[in-house]
Amino acid sequence: MPHIVTDNCRLCLFTECVEHCPVQCFHADAERIYIDPEVCIDCGACVPVCPVQAIHDVIDMADEHHVWILVNAERARDLPVVQAKREPLPTAVARRAELGF
Amino acid sequence: MSAHLSETRVVRGACPQDCPDTCAFLYHVEDGKLVEVTGDPDHPMTRGGLCVKLKNFAEHHYNPDRLLYPMKRVGPKGSGQFERISWDAALAEIKRRWTDIIAAHGAQAIMPHAYLGHQGTLNGLTAGDAFFNRLGSTVAEKTYCESGSSTAWIMTVGPTGGLDVESLEFSKYIIVWGMNMLNTNLHAWPFILKARQNGAKIVVIDPVRTRTAKQADWHIPIKPGTDAALALGMMNVIIEAGLVDQDYVDQYTLGYADLQARAAEFPPDRVAAITGIPATDIRKLAREYATTQPSAIRQGVAVERSPGGGDAVRAITCLPALVGAWRHVGGGTVEMPIWEFPFNFGFMCRPDWIPPGTRVVNELDLGAALTGTMKLDPPIKSLFVYNSNPVSQAPSAATIVDGLKREDLFTVVSELFITDTARYADLLLPATMQAEQFDLMVTWGHLYVMLNQPAIAPPGECVSNFDLFRRLAKTMGFDDEYWSLSEDESLLRSYDWSSPQMQGITLEKLKDKGWMRLNVGTPDQRKPHAEGNFKTPSGKCEFKASAAAGGNFVVPVWRSGYEAMQPGDPVDPVPTYIPPVETAENSPALAKRYPFSLVSPKPHAFLNTQYANEPVQQRRQGEQLIVIHPSDAAARKIAQGSYVKVFNERGSFEARAELSEDVMPGLLMTNVGHWPGHNRTGTAVNSTTPPRHANLGQAGTYSDNRVDLQAV
Repeated sequence: MPHIVTDNCRLCLFTECVEHCPVQCFHADAERIYIDPEVCIDCGACVPVCPVQAIHDVIDMADEHHVWILVNAERARDLPVVQAKREPLPTAVARRAELGF
Repeated sequence: MSAHLSETRVVRGACPQDCPDTCAFLYHVEDGKLVEVTGDPDHPMTRGGLCVKLKNFAEHHYNPDRLLYPMKRVGPKGSGQFERISWDAALAEIKRRWTDIIAAHGAQAIMPHAYLGHQGTLNGLTAGDAFFNRLGSTVAEKTYCESGSSTAWIMTVGPTGGLDVESLEFSKYIIVWGMNMLNTNLHAWPFILKARQNGAKIVVIDPVRTRTAKQADWHIPIKPGTDAALALGMMNVIIEAGLVDQDYVDQYTLGYADLQARAAEFPPDRVAAITGIPATDIRKLAREYATTQPSAIRQGVAVERSPGGGDAVRAITCLPALVGAWRHVGGGTVEMPIWEFPFNFGFMCRPDWIPPGTRVVNELDLGAALTGTMKLDPPIKSLFVYNSNPVSQAPSAATIVDGLKREDLFTVVSELFITDTARYADLLLPATMQAEQFDLMVTWGHLYVMLNQPAIAPPGECVSNFDLFRRLAKTMGFDDEYWSLSEDESLLRSYDWSSPQMQGITLEKLKDKGWMRLNVGTPDQRKPHAEGNFKTPSGKCEFKASAAAGGNFVVPVWRSGYEAMQPGDPVDPVPTYIPPVETAENSPALAKRYPFSLVSPKPHAFLNTQYANEPVQQRRQGEQLIVIHPSDAAARKIAQGSYVKVFNERGSFEARAELSEDVMPGLLMTNVGHWPGHNRTGTAVNSTTPPRHANLGQAGTYSDNRVDLQAV
C-alpha cells in the first residue's frame, strides 16, 4: 500500500521528494513525477517536503485521489528514475500560487 | 478578549527500537501533547525521514490500550482478567512472593527475561542486570538476536566496529548477505544507491526475493542455512584462481594454510549441491567479489539463525581479509559496529554481584525451563519479564504457554500493552514509552551517540525501566549507592567518556545537540583494518581462531556480564559448514513428513511485535501471510488468498496463502511479529520453530524449520 503523487505536481516538478526518498522510487516525465508502487516502502519521508502537498499515503487519502493509484503505477513503469533533485519547471511558481500554497 | 496561543516546542530524541538505524527524532509537542515525531534532517543516517513502522509513533503513545497502572490477575492464568492495584501493593506482593521463594528454593528460582524491546543504556537490554545480579537470580542468557554473530565476529576480527555502513557509498561491489535492508536497515540503503550511481554492483544473497533483492543488480537465492558453504565455495574459487591478496594475508591474517585446506573441501560443484546456487554463479560471484575493489559485505542477522550460523558469520567475515578489501575506504564488512562504543559493562551489569556458581538459563529455552524438561534444581518459581515478549518471539511457543500456565509460577510482566506474554502475568507493571523517558541509546548500526530526552509526562503511573529497578531495589532492601545514582550519574559511569572515541563528546553537549559522531574517522576516509589492527589476541584476522580453544561462548553483554558457566562445546578453530538439522540429507523421515522449509523474517510495518496492535499498521502489513511457490500450491490445491494450516510436531498456525515466485519451490516464508492472539488460531510462526541453538553464541535456529501445509 504505497504512496502516490497527485495532479498537484503537474507543471511544478519541484522534486524535493527525490532528495528525501531513501529508495529512489520517483519517475518523471516532462510535466510531473510518479511513484513506483513496487519500490515505495511507505516511509512517508517525501510527504512533508512537497511544496504543493502532492503526495499522499494511499491508506488514508481522500477518495478523490484514488484515481492516481493506477496512473502512478503505469507511468512509473515506463519512465526513468529521477536520481537527483532538479530545477523546478518555469511554470512552478505560478502553478504553486494557483494551487494556493 | 484574549487569543489562546498554544505552546509549541521541539525536543530532541532518538528511536528506541531494536534496529541498526537508531534514528534521530524531533518530538513536536503542543500544550503538553506529543503531536508528531519526525526525523532530524541534519542527521547523516536519518536524513529527515523515519520509516513505515514509526509513522504513527506520536499517536502510539496515546493508544487506548496502553497499560497505565499496575494490575493484578483476577481470573485464570491467561484469561486477560486484571484489576488495578497501587504501586505500593504491587511492590509489596513482589516482596512477599520473592522472599518466600528465596527462603524455600534460593534466589536462583527467580529468572528474569528481557531483550531489546528498548535499546537504551538505562532502560534497554541490560536495564535489569544489576538488580537481578544483586538479587542472585538465575542469569538469563539473552540470545534472541546477534549473539551468534557477536561470538563469530569476535572470534575472527575481535571487538572492532569494522566497516562503517556510511562508507558503503565508496564501495564498488556490495553484497547484502541475508538482510532485507529496505525493511530492516532502510537508512543505510541511500549509501548503497549512491555507490551504484558511481558504478557499484549490488548483489543480494537471500532465500527469498525480498524488496531488497528486487532492487539489486543480482539476486542469488540460497537454501536457508547454507551460507557457510557458499562463503567457503567463494574462497575455494578465489584461492584456485590466484585472486588472494597474498601480501595482506601474509601480514595481517592468522591460519591461512588451515583456511586454504578447509576451502579446498568446498569446490563449486559441491557447494552448488548444498546451496542450490549454480556452480557458474558461485564462480562468477567469487571472481567479481575478489576483483572489484573496494568490495563490501553487509551481513544480516539472518545468517546466524541456523545450526551452522556461527560458522557462516565467521566464514563470511574472513572473506574481506582474503581479498584485501580492508585496504580500501568502503572495503570490508559491516556486521555490528557496537564495539566502537566505550561501554562500561562492569557498571551497567554489575557482574561482580553475581554469586559464584550461579547457573545460566538461556531465554530461548524458556519453555523447557518452565515445564520441567530441563530438570532445573531449583525449578523456576518466578519469572520477571520486561522489554520482551517470549510467547511471540521465542521458539517452540506452545511449551512456553504451558509453562506460563503453571499455577505455582509467579509471573511479573512490565509492559506497554497486554501482549500475548503479559496475558499470563500475575502482576502487570506499566512502562513508559520513548517520548516519556530519558536515555542514551545504544546503537548497533552506525557510529553516533544518540540522546533521547523526554518530551511529555508519562501517562497514568507508568515508570521507566530505570525507575522500575530502583523501586524494586528499594523494595528488596538493597541500600548500595548504585541505586541512588541519578540517570545522568549512571550514564556518566556507563561509558568511558575520556576514551579517544568520546573525545569532545559530553552529556551536556548531547542535551543540546541530540547526537554526536564518535571520533573514529569519517566515512570518506575510514579504513580501520588497512594495516591489520584487528582486535583479536594476535592482532590479526584469525582464519584459525585462537578463541576457539575455550569452546563455544556467549559474549558477556548478552548474559548480564557473566563470564562463568559458558556453554563450552567444542568449536572447530577454522570455520566450516555445519548443515541444518531438518534437511532431507540429515533427517530423511522428518523431511518426508514435513516437505517444506519455512523461514520467518521480520515484517515491514511492525518492529517484531511492536506496532502490530496499531490498526493502521495492521492495514499496512496485512494479515499473517504464508508465501508459497505456485507449483507447490498447485500440487496441494491451495488457492491464492485461501487459508492454510502450517504445522509440524511442535505446533501450528494459520495464514492466508500468497502464491509467488519470490520463494523457490519447497520454501515457505511468513513474517514473525503478528501477535499470536490476533491470528485465527491464537498462534503464530514460533509455534512451529525448533528449540535448538546455533553452533555459536546460543543463537536461535528459527530458519531450520520443516513444516507441512494443509488447506483449511
